[in-house]
Amino acid sequence: MNVFLPFSGIVLLIGPSNSGKTTFLKKMIDSGQIQPSEVVSSDYFRILVSDVEFLDWNHRPKDEADRIFEEYQQISAEAFSLMDTLIEKRCKLNKLTFIDATHLYTDDRKRYIALARNHHVPIVSIVFDLDLSVLLERDEMREKPRGKRRVKQQYQVFKRERSLIKKEGYLATYFIQNLQDIRLIRRNKNPLELDASNGIDVIGDIHGCYNELIQLLNKLGYERNAEDLYIHPEGRKFLSLGDIMSRGPESLKTMQFFLRHVNEGHAYMIDSNHGWKIARWLDGRNVTLNHGDELVQEEFVQYERHYGEEQTIKLKHAIKQLLFEAPSHYILAKNSVPTVVCTHAGIKDEFVGKQSYEVSDYCRFGDSEGLDNNGKPVRKDWTVHHHTSALILWGHDPRPKPIINNNTINIDQGVVFGGELTAYRYPEKEFVSVKAVMDYSKGDNNPLKEWEQKRLDPPNIAKFLNGYTVSTEHLGEVHIPKEHVIPSIDTVSHFTVPIEELIYIPPTMSPTPKPSILDNYLEHPKEAIAYYRDKGIQRMVAEKKHMGSRGILLLFKDKSAGQKYIGHETLGVIYTRTGRRFFDIGLEKEILLRINEGLLSYNYFTKFDTDYVLLDAEIMPWNLKAKELIRNQYVHVSENAILDRSIITNKLQEAVKINVELKQWLSEYDAKLENALEFKEIFQKYCWNIEGINQIQIAPFHVLAHRDKTFFDKPHTWHMEMNREFAKMVDVFVETEYMVIDDLESEEEVIKWWESMTADGHEGIVIKPEFFIAKSNGKLIQPAIKVRGRRYLHIIYGMDYLLPKNLERLKKRNVDKKQKLALKEFSLGIEGIKRFVHGESIERIHECVLGTLALESDPVDPRL
Amino acid sequence: MQLTIQATGENVEVISYLLAKNPNNIYERSQNGHFIRMFYNKFSDEIMEVTFFVTPDPIELSRNRAKNYDITSYINDREFVVSSIFCSLLRSALGTALNGKPKESYASWVEHPFLFEFSFGPLATDLLDHEIIDIFQPLGYEVKISYGETDYQVKLKERSSARYISLKGSTTLQNGLRQLFVLIPVLDNYKHYYIDEKETEKVERYGEGWLHTHPLRDFILRRALRFKELYSELEENNNNLFKEQQKELRLNELRYKKIIDYISRSRMKETIVDFGSGEGNLALQLGLINGVREILAVEPSESAMLKALKRFDAIKQSDNFIVPTPIIGSLFYYDERLKSKDIMILCEVIEHIDEFRLPKVMQTILSEYQPKLLIITTPNKEYNQVYEMDEAYRHPDHRFEWTRQEFFEWCYSQKTSNYEVAFDGIGDEHVKYGFPTQMCLFIRKEGQ
Repeated sequence: MNVFLPFSGIVLLIGPSNSGKTTFLKKMIDSGQIQPSEVVSSDYFRILVSDVEFLDWNHRPKDEADRIFEEYQQISAEAFSLMDTLIEKRCKLNKLTFIDATHLYTDDRKRYIALARNHHVPIVSIVFDLDLSVLLERDEMREKPRGKRRVKQQYQVFKRERSLIKKEGYLATYFIQNLQDIRLIRRNKNPLELDASNGIDVIGDIHGCYNELIQLLNKLGYERNAEDLYIHPEGRKFLSLGDIMSRGPESLKTMQFFLRHVNEGHAYMIDSNHGWKIARWLDGRNVTLNHGDELVQEEFVQYERHYGEEQTIKLKHAIKQLLFEAPSHYILAKNSVPTVVCTHAGIKDEFVGKQSYEVSDYCRFGDSEGLDNNGKPVRKDWTVHHHTSALILWGHDPRPKPIINNNTINIDQGVVFGGELTAYRYPEKEFVSVKAVMDYSKGDNNPLKEWEQKRLDPPNIAKFLNGYTVSTEHLGEVHIPKEHVIPSIDTVSHFTVPIEELIYIPPTMSPTPKPSILDNYLEHPKEAIAYYRDKGIQRMVAEKKHMGSRGILLLFKDKSAGQKYIGHETLGVIYTRTGRRFFDIGLEKEILLRINEGLLSYNYFTKFDTDYVLLDAEIMPWNLKAKELIRNQYVHVSENAILDRSIITNKLQEAVKINVELKQWLSEYDAKLENALEFKEIFQKYCWNIEGINQIQIAPFHVLAHRDKTFFDKPHTWHMEMNREFAKMVDVFVETEYMVIDDLESEEEVIKWWESMTADGHEGIVIKPEFFIAKSNGKLIQPAIKVRGRRYLHIIYGMDYLLPKNLERLKKRNVDKKQKLALKEFSLGIEGIKRFVHGESIERIHECVLGTLALESDPVDPRL
Repeated sequence: MQLTIQATGENVEVISYLLAKNPNNIYERSQNGHFIRMFYNKFSDEIMEVTFFVTPDPIELSRNRAKNYDITSYINDREFVVSSIFCSLLRSALGTALNGKPKESYASWVEHPFLFEFSFGPLATDLLDHEIIDIFQPLGYEVKISYGETDYQVKLKERSSARYISLKGSTTLQNGLRQLFVLIPVLDNYKHYYIDEKETEKVERYGEGWLHTHPLRDFILRRALRFKELYSELEENNNNLFKEQQKELRLNELRYKKIIDYISRSRMKETIVDFGSGEGNLALQLGLINGVREILAVEPSESAMLKALKRFDAIKQSDNFIVPTPIIGSLFYYDERLKSKDIMILCEVIEHIDEFRLPKVMQTILSEYQPKLLIITTPNKEYNQVYEMDEAYRHPDHRFEWTRQEFFEWCYSQKTSNYEVAFDGIGDEHVKYGFPTQMCLFIRKEGQ
């Protein structure tokens, strides 16, 4: 007799004493079919808790017998309690457990059925159904016989209960008379687990969009063979997240397609809400076909008209089977490690790898609570409860772009609603998509349109007020503390450009992590280069650091693009690193128009197929934005210093004639006056008169995003080349000089370059790792390090900072906090832009922007 | 930072005894890394000149003592200008002179007036030259003011903000120095670091004999002891501004009165939201209306909110006062706590928001929050004629000001089918220009 065992769960052995349960298990262990740790036996647990296996109260006077019986019962109770805990833990961990006890009474069995259900694992029973005579015979052979009376009594109970067992709700029940006859058939792998070593392409909700499906498979490299099957030359397979039918034009064709591919082992498909409903309809159950399911019915009617009843029944049966057999979810394993979970509508971490009615229900519908005013289910955000490192791929709830949230990715881009059909290539982690030919839904309730309408809704302040956490792709969870959130909300409410335009705040930048080892330098390129080399980065880009003010430019192709992306007709917006509008509205308009004309004449938007470009830039001159600061601080200090020092110098020059002792003070003040004059010269280097737009220079050193992509995967050399191109397109744009460091020679060249430019008074350079996002041992490292020149630093650390006694103290600075902030802000920035490009709600983008603004309100030495 | 004392005439050499500084030596003391130094330039029967100056340690100032001096940058004028820092560093070097306690044999010279010239600077002050002169002239000095250089390649400023002052006059050394020690911090325009009770005493002691009768006594005292009323001078200095504020103050009260009238007469007034509640002026008055049960005072500024809280606390105990609940928030966020209230107020709020952002704000209010009554007030631009204002807005932060027609049209364009609108005005009505403040009520239709 073949006994099929599930991958995990409970195998309940049922039978009176002496029926051979223990012997059977021992045999299986000896032959290696069962591991000893898989067996849990009540006898063994009795020994564990009490050192005795059995107490015999036969042939004892009543008072003694009662006492012994009582003690035995107590031991049993403790043994079972401990045993159940163990079984429960094993169920939780999705292990298979054989329970060796008599389980003669309904209540005992029900306890395990409930336990299995609670942990979403199956339970099967093996009933040892032997004659009383055999039992009695065996009892006599035992070392400690239970006694005839007890055996007989147990047998009576067993006989009475035997007929009930079948209906108790096991996955399967096996009645065994002959032990020799049993053949255990086990699964040594979770059937939900798929090996992804050849690659698997996970496809979102198809909804009968057969043409788009075929297009997508072609794009993914699948080839149609002679048997009309789509096979990948590299052995990749495709996996559907369900909802392959309903709403769309060709449900039947799509189902037939999957029927063949799944049955022949070329594809996988998981269960889903529409699939489940169609399966039940095909099974003849009473269901209401709506939300596009009625179209499936119509297609079957057509089919029957064409192919006749018999063939239709056959097809219906096959599809029903396909749908019923589709599992609730799949797990993709890379090198035998389960890394990705595929589900239709959602999943709980504790459900992964398990199968039960409840798991299936949850995976089909997600976490929903009641219906809204329009009778649509209100979907709760289940992703917030996901805490393991497994990536969860899901569909069901269409979004305009794949949305990455808390290590889950939604790849239902609503092809049936005129969106896209998305595939996620694993393990490559790439998205491939095709556009819908048309909007097949024709309905008013187009979720993509609803999403778009709600996208710019004001963010819910409750999400931020008590502090919050942003989950970023590159740095994991970034916490934004409450005390910094509140002032930032004030900033956003009073000073910044509108929330929907504020999509990126650039990160702070660390200076060299260590001060220069050279005596008369505070910063030097060597330490920055050493930092990156130490992190395993061999190739770096050194960019000239313009001395102006940071500016973010969001530039639209035309005003209607502005309407589309930020909700009002505009050619764009230019704002500062604190989110304030950079220019007054009139000048901004003029500059935006000038830039727009330049870009259009170059066909920029057509060439790159985009509606907008987001640029990170330095805007010069310094006095454009910092005029007040320069006047009230730099100029003011310079005038006072020069006045103070020149009067003292004059007086000392006069007095030294009568008192030679003053020589030392005089030479000290001569030097100090020189420093003050140097200071005055330096800050003027970054200022020039502005009569209008022609004196303004903008150096866009990062191209952050286009309509459908970000450029964080590009090397900085690419960004620099783009900067050069921009300078050709628009006259207010200027180039940024740069050099590549990849060996000692180029390092020397860069140092020479830095020396000569800073001797001329330029601010300095920024050294970046070759690629925008750089990691060392999987950990994010500084995206950029600034190395400021000796002369420039006068305006940061004061005019006398190079005096040895000052420099020595200034070198004792700690950039740790600054570096940590830089990483947090950098990853928040990238996250926010990605969300913007993915068409996510402004609330999700604002989460990142507000986070950076908040982190920046944390006081760190502003002079670093 | 420096002070040069020059004296001419007979017996000037005794001044070295009054200073207790040997004319043959230079003097140098160090305090927290700052050097206090002195040298003589001239010393004869007819003329003597001595210079005191401080060479500060900039890192000590801006790093270690930064908190005390409220210094946030290494680029700071405290390192150069004469200020209370200078006075306190100089105090011990000039102790003998300030206290008038030279050697017994020279004690009689303490009261002797000499012809002095005190030169000091650089001075960073917000006072105009004539205001500086008004301070020193009554003390018998002839005042000379010179400026630093402004020879920049770029147009940065017209006139230097560094000044050097010379005072010529006949006085005793002690008196002259005491006057400087009181007046240098008065002239210096930096926010003072905390001045304790002792400092008050010092002003009284050094001011003996001259401050009491000085025509600008109050002004000097107020600036010397700035910690008491840090920001209050502005109002009195600028008479015009003061008038404007008075006018605004009155209009504000009228606005509140009108709003309160409407609310009192309203049937539904249990729950009220006051947007942009600031320091809680209106919210506080709403708390006194009969029948009101809850007031949510929404304001993004934490400091304004804290002030409002203080205010609420002060009258918490009053009978029938409903303490408003402060809420951090603004019209640019959605806050579900503000849903379905009876009354929502935007009193002088919308004109602080860029016009193109208003439709979204209105949509959030009318479609999401759905108050039974929304009250909006905003300036009537036409009325600016009555104030004889030119093109300027009434407040520098105003993004627009509307005529009655503009406001009227805007309200109709924002109104949804669930609301009806009604208009009113606040303040003294002008035949031609209407009311200074215009008001619109959005009334939710019954059963909607």
